[in-house]
Amino acid sequence: MTSESRIGVMGHHYRRILFFLLVLLTTLGAMSLLSVAFQDGGTRPHELVMLGLYAILTLWISASFWTATIGFAMLVTGRDHYAIANADTRAAGAAPSGPFKTALVMPVYNEDPVRVFAGLRAMWQSLAETGQQDGFEVFVVSDTRDPDIWVEEELLWRRWAKEMGHPARVFYRNRVENTSRKSGNIADFCRRWGGRYRYMIVLDADSIMAGETLVEMVARMERNPKVALIQVPPVPVNRSSLFSRMLQFAGSLYGRMFTAGLSYWQLGTSNFWGHNAIIRVKPFADHCGLPKLPGREPFGGEILSHDFVEAALLRRAGWRVWLAYDLGGSYEEIPPTLIDYAKRDRRWCQGNLQHSRLVFARGFKPLSRIHFAMGVMSYMASPLWLIFLVVTGVAAYFQSLVEPVYFFGNNILPVWPETYTVEMTTVLWVTLTMLFLPKILALVLLAAKPALSRQFGGLVRATLSVLTESLFSVLLAPVLMLFQSKFVLAILLRQNVGWPAQQRGDHQTGFAEAFGTHLSHTLIAVVVGFLSYRYVPSFFWWFTPVLAGLALSIPVSMITSRVWLGQLARRVGIFLTPEESAQPRVLQLLEQNLAHAGTPLCTTATGGDLWYRAVVDPCAYALHASMLPDETPNRRRRHYLEGLIFQLQDEGLGSLKPNEKRALVSHRDGLFELHTLLWAAAQPPSAGQIAGAAASSGAIHQ
Amino acid sequence: MDSGIAMVGQSGAGVAAADRSPAAWAPVAERVALYLRALGIEDALHRERLLMRIQQRWEARVIVEDPVEAGIEEAYALLDAWLCTELDITGEVDALFTARAAVLSGAVPNWSARFAGVAGESIAAQVRAAGVQPEPEPAPLDMEPSTINLCCHDLGRRITGALRVLVGHESAAAPPRTEQPQ
Repeated sequence: MTSESRIGVMGHHYRRILFFLLVLLTTLGAMSLLSVAFQDGGTRPHELVMLGLYAILTLWISASFWTATIGFAMLVTGRDHYAIANADTRAAGAAPSGPFKTALVMPVYNEDPVRVFAGLRAMWQSLAETGQQDGFEVFVVSDTRDPDIWVEEELLWRRWAKEMGHPARVFYRNRVENTSRKSGNIADFCRRWGGRYRYMIVLDADSIMAGETLVEMVARMERNPKVALIQVPPVPVNRSSLFSRMLQFAGSLYGRMFTAGLSYWQLGTSNFWGHNAIIRVKPFADHCGLPKLPGREPFGGEILSHDFVEAALLRRAGWRVWLAYDLGGSYEEIPPTLIDYAKRDRRWCQGNLQHSRLVFARGFKPLSRIHFAMGVMSYMASPLWLIFLVVTGVAAYFQSLVEPVYFFGNNILPVWPETYTVEMTTVLWVTLTMLFLPKILALVLLAAKPALSRQFGGLVRATLSVLTESLFSVLLAPVLMLFQSKFVLAILLRQNVGWPAQQRGDHQTGFAEAFGTHLSHTLIAVVVGFLSYRYVPSFFWWFTPVLAGLALSIPVSMITSRVWLGQLARRVGIFLTPEESAQPRVLQLLEQNLAHAGTPLCTTATGGDLWYRAVVDPCAYALHASMLPDETPNRRRRHYLEGLIFQLQDEGLGSLKPNEKRALVSHRDGLFELHTLLWAAAQPPSAGQIAGAAASSGAIHQ
Repeated sequence: MDSGIAMVGQSGAGVAAADRSPAAWAPVAERVALYLRALGIEDALHRERLLMRIQQRWEARVIVEDPVEAGIEEAYALLDAWLCTELDITGEVDALFTARAAVLSGAVPNWSARFAGVAGESIAAQVRAAGVQPEPEPAPLDMEPSTINLCCHDLGRRITGALRVLVGHESAAAPPRTEQPQ
């Protein structure tokens, strides 16, 4: 078989047929068991509801189950004829020729600049170690609104650019208006500088990639001119809390099976996950300009989760999108606590639900529609499970009211009611198997691959880790179900989510935060537990795993956020990942860069906030002014800025809000006016005295 | 920007706006000297030379609301004038801002001597080398919004329109809503 036919569409349709057949048959099998139990005495309306919900949910978990199982088989056998790693289709298309550049594009929005630049430097150092850095440039595309963070980004950029020397390879721009958020940020980059690059590797503020991976991504794109995007699955790393180490372990061990399985059936219609992916710039610019959806938010307006849509648009235009599951060296950092994880879900939930409008939009490939539907289901599954549980509980209650009748008419022999315990237990076991078998398969994978097993701390420790992780999964799942159900409800009630920056660093959940967040979960557990125990005791015992997770949500949320517990687990080899066993070079470099972050440029006499320095410190001022667009504000804007300067004079720095501070330093003219004004004040701006004094006591000039 | 924000007497120097006497210059000079030091001009001789030139410019100003602010502005204007001459970049605003950022970041050694006129050799090459462009030359690509035709968008309204036509309430289906998928 030639490489062309391998990457082509025709040759691998059987994979999708097999996968969807397995999913469908599993779902039908589970449904038939349940429907047998329901058909006694005719199907009642609530049973129909349960059957419908169970069908959707089984479809969802069986797709996940078969993806993991197939991925397991692929990893054990090590065979994948159609992987993008082996493909070379240069003869098939007009391969672009000549020298080219690849941009490492880092979109940021009020992120920690020290971490952002430390990560970028680590990637660059790793690239330099491959000796192939000449084909790359770094581009920080900032949408940061916080004036202090903005200035810090500039100072850190300047220091790095100065160290890199000529020719310039690291660039920075801060957008005047952050229209359309991240997708608008990337689109702005393409519109202004897209012609400079053949490829861009899109990163996230917490993502990091090894130099060899970056080079290999470019090589694979070069070998396959019809491929527009290759996604490299990011492995979660670098967090220390128990919660995040559990996720890191699960992501690293089970994640590799899932991504291999996804690649098996998605092939050239894979998805884009928003970062850690290489994109061919020209087709991206040609086809991935995002329209606004008709209607108002949350389902209309700007497309929030742009990545799925961009992948679908590329496929619609005939370009291929691949998942390079075999390629390592791709990492990301994850939320450190359950509450942070839920907050991130809140942001993602709206974007994914918005995709429900795109499932049936015209022109998309069937698999792209499935991606949209799966995105929707990743959040809709929670409220559906919740409804399923509630309906099951109500049905059990009504069932308990029915008095069994043993004697009909003149029959002297009793007619025993037919029981469906076997069928119902089988349904339960089928569901549990689909949820937990991938974890057991992961252990089998480790048993089959001793070298990999050692990276996870050995089979015994890995087994303990899987057991502990499964226990916590059971406890955390109901809490996440309630969180996500609440988010979905809020979105359906058209409450917008905004765009808050993430809290990424390790921090721990205190009692007040846990109590405030999980009190409602605990109360639900108490009330539902009491009602079910009082009125449907047989249901209560089946329900205890769900109730336990909710009842213990406060202590579990606090305990799992503890860094010392995560570190203790690491010391005893629990939740160990390959990245912890032998830290990859690029992560070592990141650690070194963070340890030696130093101070940005212009840390001279003035002190104070960075924003204040950009106004008064001649070094920071000159640098900041040099990075502003050369445009004169209009009359209305000038009056607004003058008003802010009067406010600054009369009420001091402390009276200004962040957006007002940003406005004051967004124009060269206004900035110069402010600079000279502060230097002409009664007290000269030295050693941060004015910043402190003005902030506390008010007027600047008196 | 209009300098209406520069309020009379805000420096606290207590000097009448139109006063150009040496006595009026003294408090201004004190602050301008401090400013020059903040610019990175450590050498007292350099500062003294520059102060003389700034004083000349300050005295030549026609309208001044605040003398200290005028002094600071003149110090900056002198720096800009020198950079334009040194680099031959008159009128090139972005180049001037880049050069200014380069010298004030401390990346060009001994620039203050040249600025103060006590060093003969041009430092244009060093200033250019120390300048860093935050953005590369533009290389634009067109990126227009793609069309996404939603299925069933406005379906209820379209069905209602068709039904109205059927029952004869309207001669034709209602015109489409102005808000359409792009």
